[in-house]
Amino acid sequence: MAGMADKARRRILAILVASSALVPCVAAAQDSVTVAGYGGAMRKGFDAALVNPAAQKLSLKIRSETHSDLPSIRVQVQSGAPAWDLVHLGGDECARGESEGLFEPLDLSKIDDASVPAAARGKSWVATNYYSVVLAWRTDKVKQPPKSWADFWDAKAFPGRRAIAGLAQETLEIALLADGVPKDKLYPLDVERALAAIKRLKPQIGVFWTTGAQSTQLIKDGEVDLIAIYGSRVSPVIEDGSAVQFTYDQGILGYGCIAIPKGAKNAAKAKELALAMVSPEIQANIIEKMDNYGPVNAKAYEVRKFTSEQLAKTNSSPQNAGKQVLIDAAWWAKNGDKAEEAFKSAILQ
Amino acid sequence: MTGMIAAASSGTADASYFARAERREAWSFALLALPGLVVIGLLLIVPVGWLFVLSFIGKDGGVSLENYARLAQPVYVITFVTTFQIAGIVTLGSILLGYPVAYLLSQLSPRAAAICMIFVILPFWTSVLVRTYAWLVLLQRRGLINSWLVSLGIINEPIPLVNNFIGTTIGMLHVLLPFMILPLYSSMKTIDGDYLKAASSCGASPMRAFWDVFFPLSRPGLFAGTVLVFILSLGFYLTPALLGGGRVSMWSMQIATNVSTYSNWGAASALGVLLLVVTIAILAALNKVFRVDKLYGGR
Amino acid sequence: MKVPVSIRGLSKKFGSFEALKDINLDIAPGEFVTLLGPSGSGKTTLLQVLAGFVTPTSGSILVAGEELLTRPPHQREIGLVFQNYALFPHMNVFENIAYPLKLRRLPRSEIETRVRGALDMVRLSQFIDRPVDKLSGGQKQRVALARAIVFEPRILLMDESLSALDKKLREQMQIELRHLHERLHTTTVFVTHDQREALTMSDRIAVINNGALIQFDTPRAIYDRPRTRFVADFVGETTFLPVELGTSGGASVFGTPLRLPDHAGAVAAAQSDSWLALRPEKLALSPAASPETNVNSFSAVARETIFQGDSLLVIAGFPDGQSIAVRLVPQEANRGLVPLPGQPIHINVHRNDSILVSGDV
Repeated sequence: MAGMADKARRRILAILVASSALVPCVAAAQDSVTVAGYGGAMRKGFDAALVNPAAQKLSLKIRSETHSDLPSIRVQVQSGAPAWDLVHLGGDECARGESEGLFEPLDLSKIDDASVPAAARGKSWVATNYYSVVLAWRTDKVKQPPKSWADFWDAKAFPGRRAIAGLAQETLEIALLADGVPKDKLYPLDVERALAAIKRLKPQIGVFWTTGAQSTQLIKDGEVDLIAIYGSRVSPVIEDGSAVQFTYDQGILGYGCIAIPKGAKNAAKAKELALAMVSPEIQANIIEKMDNYGPVNAKAYEVRKFTSEQLAKTNSSPQNAGKQVLIDAAWWAKNGDKAEEAFKSAILQ
Repeated sequence: MTGMIAAASSGTADASYFARAERREAWSFALLALPGLVVIGLLLIVPVGWLFVLSFIGKDGGVSLENYARLAQPVYVITFVTTFQIAGIVTLGSILLGYPVAYLLSQLSPRAAAICMIFVILPFWTSVLVRTYAWLVLLQRRGLINSWLVSLGIINEPIPLVNNFIGTTIGMLHVLLPFMILPLYSSMKTIDGDYLKAASSCGASPMRAFWDVFFPLSRPGLFAGTVLVFILSLGFYLTPALLGGGRVSMWSMQIATNVSTYSNWGAASALGVLLLVVTIAILAALNKVFRVDKLYGGR
Repeated sequence: MKVPVSIRGLSKKFGSFEALKDINLDIAPGEFVTLLGPSGSGKTTLLQVLAGFVTPTSGSILVAGEELLTRPPHQREIGLVFQNYALFPHMNVFENIAYPLKLRRLPRSEIETRVRGALDMVRLSQFIDRPVDKLSGGQKQRVALARAIVFEPRILLMDESLSALDKKLREQMQIELRHLHERLHTTTVFVTHDQREALTMSDRIAVINNGALIQFDTPRAIYDRPRTRFVADFVGETTFLPVELGTSGGASVFGTPLRLPDHAGAVAAAQSDSWLALRPEKLALSPAASPETNVNSFSAVARETIFQGDSLLVIAGFPDGQSIAVRLVPQEANRGLVPLPGQPIHINVHRNDSILVSGDV
């Protein structure tokens, strides 16, 4: 069986080589890199701000595809011939993928703590953009603006129905902050304590949302009055004119990241692309093109002058970053499964 | 044709000829069934077998029961109970709502029944996603129903109709009701009106005649509908995910979480195998309750 | 149980369609009455009204002097046997027959005794535990009958109950039913479109057409003295000859004065639209006109003869072209009375068999 398959593969290869000889210069002129990421509005901003400008700089041709999280990448790497050259993932997935040895090593020697914080990069991956989970509320129901997660937990002072995510990541952090744990003492997370806090709030929680679209709808339609929600998901609602407001105070800063699946065909070019994407010049585009996200490279702010409006909307800008807490993707990569299961039990009980 | 067969068997219709002809007939039936068997084999037996094998493989790749041991965790116990609770309530609800509708349809003239049937089948033509979001619009706190009830002064505060058990049940009932009505209707359609007249002439009041005659005769449809709705309920994902508000966790959602969030195929397989086993057990139990095999004379 | 049933001015309209038109019918206690008519005549509607499944537009039905129409079907104490048996498929023979008794909350032992009694009566005792789908058509019919009589109903209704059976079985069941009725004497209303069945079984026959009762009489009277052309035609083979009425009250056919029966009203019934109804088996042939004074004799020409096993049918033609059938029994045929085609003959009928009927309905 294997022999036959090999023979067939060799024959196909021979045909491919023969036919590529007929068109020698077209392929050589522009190398192509296949980028797989999430779908939706986020992807559009990501491509416009990072992928396309970086590719243009390197004269690369980009093929866009959509993956289904880490398992799909694991399957591709295990197959020996991944179809994707560069993948965009959530921070904990990059950390976990690295521990499983799914990625090509990246040379990040030119990047130091002053540009990208150590927590936001590994040996084979690097963060690309910050997202925030923030506290938002309906101004027609909640008259006095809440300032912290402790306020969010305080049903007497701030009456109203609440919604939090049905996923442990970021939610456990929020619960601990609400319970009085200082920002710099969050990790390692005290899961028990976080769950106890969530159980206390449960009577006030109308919905545990599971998708970004759902969270938007909940606050927009007034199904809930206070919500823990992605910054990028709530700002369109506000721009739409809904009576909604949010604060970066005690927001959770998480990040998306990129990595190159082990054995990727165009790994070399993909590595160049990855480094270009985190360079200050390209990162600066996030400030202008991705509302409520933020560049991971602090030097992006020095590239050019930005308006105060742009800086106010950028979650990692000096004025906003200080109010928030940076997520520890490594902790989640190691403890995510157990924390998630314990969290699920807690919200179902 | 006869000539050819006769020639092949050297012209005599002896015992061996008939044996051969019989075999040939048996083979031709087997050939006809072959495509179906292949499809079932490839799409059902093989994946289920694979699932079964996977469920006994631990994280380190060796044979282990760790995937099943995991199922003792509270989250799975709760999910298991919730899943069967919801499936049971939805099934019961669909019987209570569907039986009278099917009865009405079966008593209508064929023309009127055909028109009404369109309304039963109509939901099939809309995507489950759209219908589920429609319920959200109707049921949520500032949705149509709560707005009306509040403006009519029936209630002061909006009542929580969605993002909970109730909303999930309503949404699932809506999606699954046709699966109850259709088999019930087709089974009721075959019940001769003379049976009821006969019961009546025997002295049975309309109520007695219904329970003694019509209801038992509609049992095959009721069984088919119950099984369909129950089994489909067990595997529901989208509706509880959207209308449950994160508080209603169904079995299929746990399977999905295990695959997509934890990338744990072994645990997901164990969940699948357990669901399959319990479902088969329930099917067998339902068959006993409805005694479908005994209907029409107990063969 | 013997009760009289009196149907008074019963009408039923479905929209503008009159299914029953002012039916008046008195059934004697214990009588076996057959409603006979073609399909669509209204006989089944009448049965459904009796059973309580159709509400009449107007009228009254008195059973032993008490109004039946105001009772719901299940309180009418009427046994009903359907054409398609309508045995409950989820019950076996015993359960089917026991069902009316269970509804009446009889003690178990009595139910057992009465079910066995009813099964004995229809000669099916050994089938008591059979599932009903394991029975033949005739057996099903007997179980249906047993179920209808086991609770001793005041009236037994049978709707085309034998028509699903094959001819031999049907004739056997007719006789059995007759015997059963002689034992039980339950007032029975039997609906059929089969005239022979009606003649075989009934004490009296009610002929119904277009929703109206045409004639209500004993089988012999219905057959021998039909009042209308419809009844004569429906009950047996008949040739109709046009009757000319003379000014003096006499009647003639083809110019030959008719000799009519003795019984009163025969001529009085004659109207402008009158017909002489002749039954093939009541006719005789002769080479010349019969000299007998009690016989009407018409000249005709033989056309053909048809062998039918138990009899011989001679088809003859009258001068005006109309044909007539004459049935000869084999003895007559053996006596050389079979005419050849084209041979002039005379057709003779006794004056008592010369039936005058009116043409309408």
